[in-house]
Amino acid sequence: MATLFSGAKLPTPSSPLKVGDLAPDFSLPDQNGKEVRLSEFRGSKNVVLAFYVLAYTPG
Amino acid sequence: MIGISVDSSPANKVFAEQNGFTFPLLSDFKRTVSKEYGILNEEYGFANRATFVIDKDGIIRHIDKDRDAIDPSGAHAACSLLEHKKS
Repeated sequence: MATLFSGAKLPTPSSPLKVGDLAPDFSLPDQNGKEVRLSEFRGSKNVVLAFYVLAYTPG
Repeated sequence: MIGISVDSSPANKVFAEQNGFTFPLLSDFKRTVSKEYGILNEEYGFANRATFVIDKDGIIRHIDKDRDAIDPSGAHAACSLLEHKKS
């Protein structure tokens, strides 16, 4: 059990990203079905990535 | 500025049109990106609200989560810093 609770170094898929980390690259379709890849902006633009809750759910 | 939600592309299209958004709204329908960024609400299956500011080198420079992400001033300030950064 001790190892279970001291296993902070175990890599987990949900390990939170921190400031200073490299943003994981991804490619997802936009509202018009066009694929947008995060790394497209590398070297040219800063990116504000806003995750939002369901489009029709206020708050 | 890029928006991401777990909504479908057609739903995002309507949402963008109704609000006059011109920036991309990406559909993370499979929730892989939300999970990778550590903001997937496993219980309800949608992404929590969060804002990441990423610089030109692909490095995360600012993170707002949950209620903090509603107020854009933190992200805005981080962007201003990047704009003025000489690199």
